[in-house]
Amino acid sequence: MMEDEESSPEEYDEYDDDNDEDSREIVVPGEVLTEEVNKFLPGRGTILNTEKNKIVSLNIGLKQIKRNYINVIPLRGFYTPRPGDKVIALVIDKNPVKYRCDINAKDLAVLKPKNAMKKSKIRGIRGSNASREEMSTDKFDIGDILVVKIISADRLNQPELTTIGKYLGKKTGGIVITIDPPKIPRVIGRSGSMIKMLKNLTNSNIFVTQNGRIWLKGEDIAHERILIKAIHKIEQEAHTVGLTDRIQEFIINEKEKRGIK
Amino acid sequence: MMDVKRLISKIERNYIKSNLLKEERIDERGLWEYRDFKIRSDIISSAEGSADVSLGDTRIITGLKYEVGEPFPDIPDEGVCTVMAELLPVASPLFERGPPDEQSIELARVVDRGIRHADCVQTKKLCIKENEAVYILFVDLYVINYGGNLIDAGGVSALTTLISAHIPEGKIEDGALEWTGNYITGETIINELPLVMTYGKIDEIVFLDPSLPEELVSDGKLSISVTENKITSIQKSGAATFSFDEIKMLCKKSLELGKNLRKEFDLWQYKYKPTI
Amino acid sequence: MPLVIKDEYPKKLFRDDGKRLDGRDVDELRPIKMEVGVIKNADGSAYLEWGNNKIFAAVYGPREVHPHHLSKPDRGILRVFYRMATFSVFDRKRPAPGRREKEISMIIADCLEPVLFLELYPGTCFEVFIEVMDADGGTRCASTTVAALALADAGIPMKSLVSSVAVGKIDGKKIVDLSGIEDKAGEADLPCAITWYNEEISLLQFDGDMNLDEMNEFLKLIKESLEKIHQIQLNTLKSKYLELKEESAKKEESKAKKGEN
Repeated sequence: MMEDEESSPEEYDEYDDDNDEDSREIVVPGEVLTEEVNKFLPGRGTILNTEKNKIVSLNIGLKQIKRNYINVIPLRGFYTPRPGDKVIALVIDKNPVKYRCDINAKDLAVLKPKNAMKKSKIRGIRGSNASREEMSTDKFDIGDILVVKIISADRLNQPELTTIGKYLGKKTGGIVITIDPPKIPRVIGRSGSMIKMLKNLTNSNIFVTQNGRIWLKGEDIAHERILIKAIHKIEQEAHTVGLTDRIQEFIINEKEKRGIK
Repeated sequence: MMDVKRLISKIERNYIKSNLLKEERIDERGLWEYRDFKIRSDIISSAEGSADVSLGDTRIITGLKYEVGEPFPDIPDEGVCTVMAELLPVASPLFERGPPDEQSIELARVVDRGIRHADCVQTKKLCIKENEAVYILFVDLYVINYGGNLIDAGGVSALTTLISAHIPEGKIEDGALEWTGNYITGETIINELPLVMTYGKIDEIVFLDPSLPEELVSDGKLSISVTENKITSIQKSGAATFSFDEIKMLCKKSLELGKNLRKEFDLWQYKYKPTI
Repeated sequence: MPLVIKDEYPKKLFRDDGKRLDGRDVDELRPIKMEVGVIKNADGSAYLEWGNNKIFAAVYGPREVHPHHLSKPDRGILRVFYRMATFSVFDRKRPAPGRREKEISMIIADCLEPVLFLELYPGTCFEVFIEVMDADGGTRCASTTVAALALADAGIPMKSLVSSVAVGKIDGKKIVDLSGIEDKAGEADLPCAITWYNEEISLLQFDGDMNLDEMNEFLKLIKESLEKIHQIQLNTLKSKYLELKEESAKKEESKAKKGEN
């Protein structure tokens, strides 16, 4: 089954937004972003210092002003699970009542069998339609790659996952690579422009998820190699302008060098 | 942020296997091709010899220190050279802190045997006074980044370190140990240039220089140390089995690869260059 | 016992021309070079050359705590492991960690903790591994400095960076940044670190003898040097991105010009 994941409206590319006035200045932890604390509010990646006379960056990232919020879009970071996120999980352990999965976060996540069954089987009186097999952990094995959605995640408990939903479930074939999670929006691009270009130019299927993991499958390894190189180049140059065009040029050149279409 | 017991996913395992069957590897290498080597020597000011070697993403920094002590009773006119290795926790989420584990001991011992049985270090040249004072050399390898195939990188790192050696030359004068003002260098003590080649095996396919994903998917490994004309040490590890023909083929290949690498590296360029 | 006694204390620590043995003025730092992102496998990493000191720092985290009983339910923990290579010092050091290394690990952890938000990561840990490959005086200060860079490189939110340097007294004169021989043969050694978000001292040790006036002078000397170190850290973090940014901006400009023609 070939999927074609459309990027949803919320997954827009924060790096490529033309509405910024003061965007693209690189800032570091502790750097003063503004002293006009009456004019601006501390947004993402920033903090108002204790004397309340400066807004300061918490990360290494790009300074961004949106309306009266000052944000810092981080250039480096780790993934923090949020409900609703689609991520790629690796099943690393299972027992009769649950699967334990690595989702590239500080905690392992849990997938319960009831969240791995098809919807039609859950409907009905508890216990009567759902057979014992379906409530067991036979469906997936250790080592499986699953595309999942996070149902719940908070500071104190392990995140919970589900494979019920569109485009979710086990992946067969292809390969998964991991990049720095903050760079994921750049791989998608404004209105999906980057990912569309990648798919078309390399004849590949690509599934980009929030935890920095990307599943891809091309027509052959030659195309997959170029795609992987291109994605790592996006990761390195995420903070620059004109990236979509440069990556397009890069892929065309690489294909020519190897004599492939 | 990975779980320490990193598991290889099934699709990655299949991807590597199915491509190897077609003689394709993710980094575009052939089955008998090395990743890029980068070699620098004499980079540690506190050491009497050192090297910083990278093989692909694998990076090992090695240093040489010496002590003067009594020789072993059965070899009264010979010094000693020992190799130690540590897989530093900086190098990978797979490495834990603590005393050397199986993997570090294997690295140290395979590199050590490759050097020892090639008669690489002339231990008679490490004698100050028979029965009384000899040099004890410590070659210590520290893995800084783990990208697969520590052994081949380790071998080059240890050898380059010994070539770069500059050990204060001692003599016994009136019963006391003194420095002559000169240095014993790699040129004096190194006799042979052994190199070690490691092959991975997945199902029926054998290939040179496993990268990290290939190493984690491999069923087994075979490391062969060679000088220009001789095979000096072999180590097979992991649960895979190798046929007699495979072993013969790999020994022959290792001798060829060794000759080419020695020409390419030109290792004597890394000998000690005193700054005036 | 090594053959050559390198560490014989020289009679004078100043040359006839008034400079220190390595040619520096009393308030001059040794040459310092820093780099981030040098260890691919780590979540964050940095490398520093400071005089002859050569030190790697790598950060892993947030991740699960091993052994589990060390984890705290309401906050994360920071663990620092400072180690010296056997060949990093003139007299070969035994491989196993000694008491000095354990003490330094503790004071560096205490020094870095104030800039982190550990309460946001309950039940997990951040581990900072510091590996000294070559040592020549002031390694605890250099290690603190490079560890702060590695934490920033890992994308961990920080109130600010931390910078560290030592001041001391040799042959009766106050100096900045003691080399190995000055540390051993001198009269006083004061390593110090500052957390920039509140400009307060988070690492302080002293060995030697001084009176109250001297203490005040030392503290003034230190502030100036710490600012120099901080500037190098900031430039290191930014330069990784600035080069690429400028290149790509130039390309965009020339493309736009071509478009106009």
